[in-house]
Amino acid sequence: MKRRDFLALSAGAAAFSILPGAVRAALPVPYDRNAEVPVNDKKAFIEWMVANRGEDPKFLAERFDRFQIMVYNKDVLDDRNKRAFLSTPREEFVLPQNLGRAYDHAFLDIGYGVTISGPHLVGRMTTVIDVQFGEAVLEIGTGSGYQSAYLANLTDKVHTIEIINPLAQRTRRTYDALIDRGYSVFGSVTSRNADGYYGWESVGPFDKIIVTCGIDHIPPSLLQQLKPNGVMVIPVGPPGAQHVLKVIKQQLADGTFNIVRSDIYNGKVVPFVPFTKMEGDQIVGTHNS
Amino acid sequence: MAVVASTSRPSIASLEAPRLAHYLAVGLIAGAIIALQISVMRVFAVGSWSHFGSLVVSLAMLGFSLSSVVIFAGKDWFDKHWQGAATSALLLIGPLAVGSNLIAQTVPFNAIFLVSDPEQKWRLLANFLLYLLPFLAGAFFLGIVFLKSRTAFGRVYFADLTGSGLAGLVVLVSMYLFAPETIIVVPLLLWAAGSLLWFSAFSAWKSVVAGAAVAALSIAGYLILPGLLGIPDIAVSQYKGVAYARNFPDGKRIYRSVSPFGDLQVYASSYMHFAPGLSDNAAFGMPEVPANTYVGMYRDGDGPEGIMRNLAPAEQVYFRYLPMHYPYVIKARPKTFVVQFGGGISTQAALDAGSTSVTVAESNPMTLRAFRDPILKDVTGDILAEPRLKVIDYDGRLFLANTTERYDVIDLSLADSVGLSNPGGFAISEKYAYTHEAMLSYMHALADGGVLSVTLWNKEEPPKSVLKLYSTIAEAARTFDSQGAANDIFAVSSYLSTTTVLFKRGGFTEAEIKTLRDYTRSMSWEEVYYPGMAYDGSTAQKILDDYRASIFGSGEDATLTQPAADATAPANPDCDPTAPADPTLDTCAGAGGDAGPQVLPATALERMAWHALLTGGWERLASDYVFDAHALSNDQPYFAAYVKVADLPRTLDRLDLFQDDWGYLLIWATLGIACITAASLVLLPVLFGWRIVFSRSRGKLGTILYFACLGLGYIMVEVGLISRFTVALANPTVSASVLISSMLVFSGLGSLFAERIFDRARTLLPVVLLAICVLLLAYGFTLSLVLDWIGAYPYAVRLLLCFLLVSPPAFLMGMPMATAMTWLARLGKEHLFVWAWGINGCFSVIGSAAVPIVATSFGLSAVLQWAAIAYLVAIPAFFAVLLPSKAPAVRLVTA
Repeated sequence: MKRRDFLALSAGAAAFSILPGAVRAALPVPYDRNAEVPVNDKKAFIEWMVANRGEDPKFLAERFDRFQIMVYNKDVLDDRNKRAFLSTPREEFVLPQNLGRAYDHAFLDIGYGVTISGPHLVGRMTTVIDVQFGEAVLEIGTGSGYQSAYLANLTDKVHTIEIINPLAQRTRRTYDALIDRGYSVFGSVTSRNADGYYGWESVGPFDKIIVTCGIDHIPPSLLQQLKPNGVMVIPVGPPGAQHVLKVIKQQLADGTFNIVRSDIYNGKVVPFVPFTKMEGDQIVGTHNS
Repeated sequence: MAVVASTSRPSIASLEAPRLAHYLAVGLIAGAIIALQISVMRVFAVGSWSHFGSLVVSLAMLGFSLSSVVIFAGKDWFDKHWQGAATSALLLIGPLAVGSNLIAQTVPFNAIFLVSDPEQKWRLLANFLLYLLPFLAGAFFLGIVFLKSRTAFGRVYFADLTGSGLAGLVVLVSMYLFAPETIIVVPLLLWAAGSLLWFSAFSAWKSVVAGAAVAALSIAGYLILPGLLGIPDIAVSQYKGVAYARNFPDGKRIYRSVSPFGDLQVYASSYMHFAPGLSDNAAFGMPEVPANTYVGMYRDGDGPEGIMRNLAPAEQVYFRYLPMHYPYVIKARPKTFVVQFGGGISTQAALDAGSTSVTVAESNPMTLRAFRDPILKDVTGDILAEPRLKVIDYDGRLFLANTTERYDVIDLSLADSVGLSNPGGFAISEKYAYTHEAMLSYMHALADGGVLSVTLWNKEEPPKSVLKLYSTIAEAARTFDSQGAANDIFAVSSYLSTTTVLFKRGGFTEAEIKTLRDYTRSMSWEEVYYPGMAYDGSTAQKILDDYRASIFGSGEDATLTQPAADATAPANPDCDPTAPADPTLDTCAGAGGDAGPQVLPATALERMAWHALLTGGWERLASDYVFDAHALSNDQPYFAAYVKVADLPRTLDRLDLFQDDWGYLLIWATLGIACITAASLVLLPVLFGWRIVFSRSRGKLGTILYFACLGLGYIMVEVGLISRFTVALANPTVSASVLISSMLVFSGLGSLFAERIFDRARTLLPVVLLAICVLLLAYGFTLSLVLDWIGAYPYAVRLLLCFLLVSPPAFLMGMPMATAMTWLARLGKEHLFVWAWGINGCFSVIGSAAVPIVATSFGLSAVLQWAAIAYLVAIPAFFAVLLPSKAPAVRLVTA
């Protein structure tokens, strides 16, 4: 890092650190989902975000580092997704004791036996369902709220269901606090405490569905509430080594449906590389080595 | 110090004439330690995951080695102050057990974050150190007692072993009375009784009063403190299955029973949904999924396993969409056998499909008891009372191996498993229902034209368990029908869901194949094998290589550096899997042309596997594949341990990827820690002054070797037989208790009997060691058959027969330790005496960690063979023990 950048960042960080933690300032500029967040340059990104979103440069730097590895790993591909990832303050959705590891590759505990998935998995799942603006997306398993927040940067119709009531309430409060601070984009998230097994019939059908909780079969109601040719993704397997199952509701010529199970790489065996790490701007080795 | 070699009369300082009360006290304290060991494992099983309990406890047993090093280093001090030291150690056991357990509940560690969260390592270490404390106190007490009563070693050792053995049984029975959150009361009571007896034996009445007060406070503290301090009795991980049930708004426990078979709890909630392997097409073919259909059954907090209510006739179309329906597609009104009852879904499916009779086996008596409970009867509609149903209350595998009945359908569906991923990983557990021998028993029990249907979870990518299953069934089919095996198999799978393999005695007809294929298509499942299926092997090697690279590659190959131009990209040029747009996804999904959706690598691999298994080339495929895919046998009944041994070093920088095999990797970690400790133990005396301490002890290396062999050999037999006896006793906890008890009690008797051969040890002990070696080899070869035979008797008879079966080697195995220790004492090699005790303990830990590794790599009979070799090696080493302590060795010292 150049010395000038360092000074600028330090000054930013110092300015931020004197603000009382509980009362965060409102966003300096009204939130714009379609704003051209810089994606190619770390310094430009941080400066832009500090100026427009008033976020902590420390987390912004970590977010950009993680982002670069995700791009390298092809976890985020197109510019809309890239901006959505870069615009979502993951640090707001982790527990205070995990703030230092908010941008680690790993999944983190958020209480109630629930985790916030690692950024690579979230990026990959979101990329696979390729959400277009205006599409209706249903998430089963709100959890920390991070996935929905990410989605809210892509479309204005995000519906999310959480089965554990205290967790659903906590996450709702997180959203409301962020909205109060000016993150108007999270107003696109409608949340609900209910059994996600039955989907959300009154607001369906959905273009895309993301299921983030374990189940031994795909709930039929969800398949029913998926629009023709809609896509659903479900992570399967132990945390840390989850494989994402992609389900497509194909409509055949005769109007009937065929459910196609696939992996997100369309039949390619791809390396599991959730843990590359960066030194400076270089990607070197893995976290465990 | 006075030393009299070769004398039968003790003349060195010893625990003054041990009396019956002393022996009883030693027995009770030794028993308390074993009981604490089992109890702590129960706490871990219920609170987090049992194999971490085994890890913590087996490492805690290193306390014995540690204490012996300390006693060794300060032998003179301990000789002088033994009574005070023993009293302090004794009084500390209870408070330390209570305190450690309580504090451990405030620092629970979470296995699933072990790799990613640096803090978890420290929590695991804290748990280990905490639980080490009471064991350390116990080890000090016993170590000091052995030191002071060394000439009466055989009898004290008898008390130690018998006490431990009987305590094993006491804990087993206590598990009916005490739930896991109160089970530590049992070791506390044993300790209290032992302490009071010990102090009374010395007429130390003040100590008796102090002991009674400490004991009362400890027990009261154990029961009351958690409530007072707001610390949970057992900190149950939020990631345990049962924790989720408790989080459901309407989650309610409707049943609980505690027993040695586990802590069985049933929760009701409208949020429980099970349909293992349900076809995706159910969404369109079924009017509605039946609601409120299930309650969830949890064993030791793991689960749930769904228990189904009676479905209304209109709802029963549901069964058609489950993979367990397969055999009934071609078998009308069959006589059916269900190998494991579990939550009853397979049984319901069999009844629903019109079976004329359904015989169902369940080896866990607690499951059957639960189903007979009035509350669950209400839920299930009293399925066990169904007139077409006949219940066998032991292992279905053993019933079929011993029956002359023949069945049209035999179903083995998702036994012993729950659908959700187990975040703690799989312990190395024996799956005897899925072995080569078991499959053969099922095939033999089929009537002509009968169908065996086996369903397993297929949730791994890359595939692991399913390949092991395929190779097991194929191997069994080839053994059963060497000519026609290729016509007897029909296999399907559903990506990241389930796989089902059908075996038909006598082969499938054309019409049946067509019916099954039509059904498969109607369910959107994938065909992986049917007789006559066309096979294209052109991509086989590439898939194998890609799978290996996906796990052990640098991550920079293929996809990441050259995504768009990758050779594995689907044939369809419009499909760039790395491009984002939605239409592309659909294009890719349809890639492969008109033949329909392209074949996923996992499915292609499964097809390759079947082709190779039935037409040749399997060995090559299995050796090229990234994970172990060998068949399960009674000798190696493991789905776990899929990482090939040669690949182990490569797992270290990517442990996240092997979370489901951590049970196995942890064993290696345990072995590593135990080996390091053992090495330090051997080296420590060198640091403390080998030459001075051992100046009069000849045969040091031989003595180390001897006790190392005994430590290794004994524990390998014990742990190896626990795994083995699960075949007949159907439950690892019961098997462990019976084995530990019978081994220790009979070995205790052996050590008592050894007194009679002390004077002729030079000639007789080698014979005993040889006899042990021969017996172990013989057991290794014949045990499987004998246990299958025992398994068909009523449970009480099985317990008795198993208890007796262990007695001959156990009795003999009690003699070498007592004989050699007594001779070390007689020869005045007191330092070696203490040290030998530590070496023995240390190698016990090494041995217990080595068992699963040997078993998974070489088989369970190899465990007994290795133990036999250890006893054989002990024969020449024994002569080193007998070398007199004085004499020419002096030259070595002065040299």
